[in-house]
Amino acid sequence: MEDRIRRLTAEDEAYLRDESHTVGAAEYIAFPRTEEEVRGVLRRAYEAGLPVTLQGGRTGISAGCVPHGGLVVSLTRMNRAEGMRRLEDGRYSVLVQPGVVLSELGKWVESKRLDTRGWDGESLAAYAEFCRGGEFFFSPDPTERSACVGGMAACNASGALSYRYGPVRDHVLALRAVLMDGRTVALRRGERFARGLVFELPCEDGSLLRGRLPGYAMPSTKNTSGYYCREDMDLLDLFIGSDGTLVALTQLELALLPSPAFQWCVNCYFPAEGQAIGFVKTVRDAAEKAAAIEYFDGDALDILRRQRAENPAFASLPPVPDGAAAAVCVELHDDERSRIQARLFRLGEQLRAAGGREEDTQVARTAADVAALKFFRHAVPESVNMLIAQRKKQDPVITKLGTDMAVPDGKLDEVVELYRRGLAEYGLESAVWGHAGNNHLHVNILPRNGEDYRRGKQLYARWARAVTEMGGAVSSEHAVGKSKADFLEIMYGPAHIAEMRALKRVFDPRGLLGRDNLFAFEKEGE
Amino acid sequence: MRIAVCLKQVPSTNEVRLDPETHTILRDGRQSVVNPFDAHALEEAVRLKESLGGHVTAISMGIPAAETLLRDAVARGADEGVLLTDRAFAGADTLATSYTLAAGLRKAGPFDLILCGKMAVDGDTAQIGPELAQQLGLPHLTEVCEITPVGEGRARVRRLTQRGGQEVEVTLPAVLTLVREINTPRMPTLAGVRRGEAASIVRWGLAELGVDESRCGLKGSPTQVVRTFVPVRARETAFLSGDARSQAEQLLKIAGEVLA
Amino acid sequence: MSGLIIDRARCVGCGRCISACPAGALVLEEGTALVDRGLCTLCARCVDSCPVGAIAVERGSAGAADGWRGVWVFAQQEGGRPLPVALELLSRGRQLADALGEPLCAVAAGGGEGLTRPLLEQGADLVYLCPALSGDHRAEPAWPELLARLTAEHRPAVLLFGATPFGRSLAPRLAARLGTGLTADCTELDIDPDSRCLLQTRPAFGGNLMATIVCPDHRPQMATVRPGVLPVSPPCPRPGARVVRVEPPALPAPLTRVLGEWTADPSAAGLAGAEVIVTVGRGIGVRKNLALARRLAGLLGARLGCSRPLVEAGWLPYDHQVGQTGVSVAPKLLLAFGVSGAVQHLAGIAGAEHIIAVNTDPEAPIFSVAHEAVVGDCVEILREMIGILEEKTK
Repeated sequence: MEDRIRRLTAEDEAYLRDESHTVGAAEYIAFPRTEEEVRGVLRRAYEAGLPVTLQGGRTGISAGCVPHGGLVVSLTRMNRAEGMRRLEDGRYSVLVQPGVVLSELGKWVESKRLDTRGWDGESLAAYAEFCRGGEFFFSPDPTERSACVGGMAACNASGALSYRYGPVRDHVLALRAVLMDGRTVALRRGERFARGLVFELPCEDGSLLRGRLPGYAMPSTKNTSGYYCREDMDLLDLFIGSDGTLVALTQLELALLPSPAFQWCVNCYFPAEGQAIGFVKTVRDAAEKAAAIEYFDGDALDILRRQRAENPAFASLPPVPDGAAAAVCVELHDDERSRIQARLFRLGEQLRAAGGREEDTQVARTAADVAALKFFRHAVPESVNMLIAQRKKQDPVITKLGTDMAVPDGKLDEVVELYRRGLAEYGLESAVWGHAGNNHLHVNILPRNGEDYRRGKQLYARWARAVTEMGGAVSSEHAVGKSKADFLEIMYGPAHIAEMRALKRVFDPRGLLGRDNLFAFEKEGE
Repeated sequence: MRIAVCLKQVPSTNEVRLDPETHTILRDGRQSVVNPFDAHALEEAVRLKESLGGHVTAISMGIPAAETLLRDAVARGADEGVLLTDRAFAGADTLATSYTLAAGLRKAGPFDLILCGKMAVDGDTAQIGPELAQQLGLPHLTEVCEITPVGEGRARVRRLTQRGGQEVEVTLPAVLTLVREINTPRMPTLAGVRRGEAASIVRWGLAELGVDESRCGLKGSPTQVVRTFVPVRARETAFLSGDARSQAEQLLKIAGEVLA
Repeated sequence: MSGLIIDRARCVGCGRCISACPAGALVLEEGTALVDRGLCTLCARCVDSCPVGAIAVERGSAGAADGWRGVWVFAQQEGGRPLPVALELLSRGRQLADALGEPLCAVAAGGGEGLTRPLLEQGADLVYLCPALSGDHRAEPAWPELLARLTAEHRPAVLLFGATPFGRSLAPRLAARLGTGLTADCTELDIDPDSRCLLQTRPAFGGNLMATIVCPDHRPQMATVRPGVLPVSPPCPRPGARVVRVEPPALPAPLTRVLGEWTADPSAAGLAGAEVIVTVGRGIGVRKNLALARRLAGLLGARLGCSRPLVEAGWLPYDHQVGQTGVSVAPKLLLAFGVSGAVQHLAGIAGAEHIIAVNTDPEAPIFSVAHEAVVGDCVEILREMIGILEEKTK
């Protein structure tokens, strides 16, 4: 067991970083392979008073897995599927370790090839049925497919398809977790609830965790700002989106959805932002809900135009029509060809009414075309990251400032107006894209120098206040981690932050786990 | 310039699934798609038409459902779709397929250029292009990566060879099979999709083509599959032992088998 | 009667054939499977899916195969020497000819001693040599003419080609001209002792399935064979073997004319559509070892890619970078040398059908996706692989 913890050396430098491009520090690192090893590692850290930072694919952009001292526990070697279940409604679920990479999970499910070694009889029987039956998929689809499912659960990740199918939370049926002191809990959805805001949660050793949930009202938007808390809640939900601060997840049971027979993507272009936003609202009102409604502003489109022309790796991008200053990507899922076709043609009428042209509208109906449009969607953040990396070489203080805020339906125009006014007033370069269907746009401020970066942060904080006033969330899918702790305080205020701290103490009395995530660590009496 | 493009409908995946308990082959329910190589042939045809003017005919031999693929071809810029479909065409190997396709092309033609993908991903034979050319009595060039019509019934063609490539002048009409590097296929526009759905697809069977039934389909196919089996392949990573020399030999042997 | 035949007495009504059928041509009726011949494409997937062997594809039988004798190998050459695949074909051809008790012949063009001697040493009883033709692409239009004439004169039972771009262009043209069957890209050839037919085994469905194919009623039985698969036997010259010179065919004005040739630019990465890719990572140690990787890539007809650190170190340009921030690749075969396999890199090679990895660190994540792995010094393995391949081409 002990050899699982070793000193962190210069070669492990990558484990001090994530995609937030902030660099932390740690003295030790461990790569446990089993829940038993996780228990051993955490217990030893607990006894030694060593802070622990949990890591998966290190693809987060809120620095949630950047260590602030102590021990890094990378769960990436816990990357096996451990079983499968057939659910009562004919769907399936897969039991996975937290280090399973999303793209791998996708491949396993799509090809129906899972490594079944060590599975129990129930799992093997379910797997055989699964192979014989139709197609299934795991719907959460953050852009970064090299994310680990453990990390995705820790930050309640979403993606474009969350518009239709919901975030990771909606797909976790059960989980196993290890506390800092080595105790374990197992929870299945629908089995254990809080009473009001009070909860009792038994550990597998028979001991009982008792506590009180914070009393804030969560926004009625996509949200991953702080702990998920509401009266009488399912206690399983407490651990989803808890940012690696309460427990180490060691197994997740994830629901698989039947794949729709037809998955079409449509890229709609408009000469002006207002037209695109109007179109988003029309599409959102359609009787059959779209699977995804994504938005890209003119700056994002310009970045793509440049990449396509200059970078061979992006040459296969679908072209952005001349004159397009905004794009809306709509994804339609359906089981009937005639129905999806009718939906497509109706979309055409709506886009013409909004000021778009069917001649410019790209329709992906085959897997290859869908992949090309998804590449389009993913190429935007990818390109922005490359741009920022270049600028960082000139001034190391520069990093991307990307917002992750959602507002309630009805506030979409207002929030777009807020962003545009702020950007103009501060004179900042930006690119805006995101999940317009959920009123959840990522405004990416692209600092040209240190001064831009400083002012961008100011603007961001101003927006956090305004979005909170609109009843929105300061973090909607990227989680709070370390880099957005300030905004969480803006959103909920110090009293509720104190409630969160108290809740954390129930699980981690010494304040060792995920230190500085959600709120800054404060040395307190044990 | 009158251009024909041969399209084949193929399963969207080559995955062969086995029943974990009975070890029999399971076929997944995914849709059929156009052979990815053929998508590049269609794109090239449409680009040639756009730069030189002309007419693009998409042609396919297949089941009636392959009509979807021809509508999609129209959505991407083809002017018409021709489907060769008949019970008698079923079970064709490359010889019978090229015979039937040649008849369809003669009836739909004449054409200046007949474009095919380099091969179909489900059969991997790369034989249809040259066999078709022989059946039509036309010259053919494989592995084509660039086409430049130069007038006077000729085109200049660049093709890939083992060493690099060569430039060849070919007298039209000719059959060219294209590599994927030649272009990036476009996506249909919504306006194109509407055109595709509205298009009437020509359907020709045995009678319309006036072909010899004994040369079509299963009857016209000299080759037959006598056995299929799933290659035994280790599922987990195989760590090779031995000294460096023998490891290198093993790796090369495996590489040879994989590329076979 | 030809078509899909279901033995309803044997059928147990399990329905597996129905889920196997891509055309929706099968239904269950009164507890047994029934085929709709209007929909059936005779793809035979149901045949393989049936656990009780109740389904078969039957076909009528046509002409006879009598009077066709001998195994012929088309010996493609380059620079006056036969390509390795020609020797591979002769080695297996010798075994086939012996099984049939018939002669083995090679057909070659251009060249001289340097071309014919290896063919004779490899066991050809007879070499048909057309000195006036070049044995490669430049003479492409003449080849079907020549082979059609020789085939008509000498009636070989088997005619084999290397599945090189040239072979795969020439063989189907000839097959259509002769009106016979051709099996592409075989990996195994055998003689069925009962029917004396050539058993041609090849991968299907991207290698996920193997199929054995025969051509019972047409001659010659033609196949192309993937280079590098069949082993080369030790030399076994035949007593009385000889070379027969043949005249080139008279051709009308050719419809194709080669204007020029170029050799591939070795500096461009060209990873996107590559079938074979060699990737290198930090494990190759020093920059000069890149030359080894380049050499191996050249010998395998592969493209060279690398992991991010090498691009960051300036050893290779950006277009060589494989991974999420570089190029995503989907080769049939990827050989990774000294690549540890960061998650982002693994995402970029997720499309590779087959992965071989060499790394000193047994814990390297690349091994989790590799089909075959060698724990060891990748530079040493590179050297050995190059050595073996160079010996083979000598």
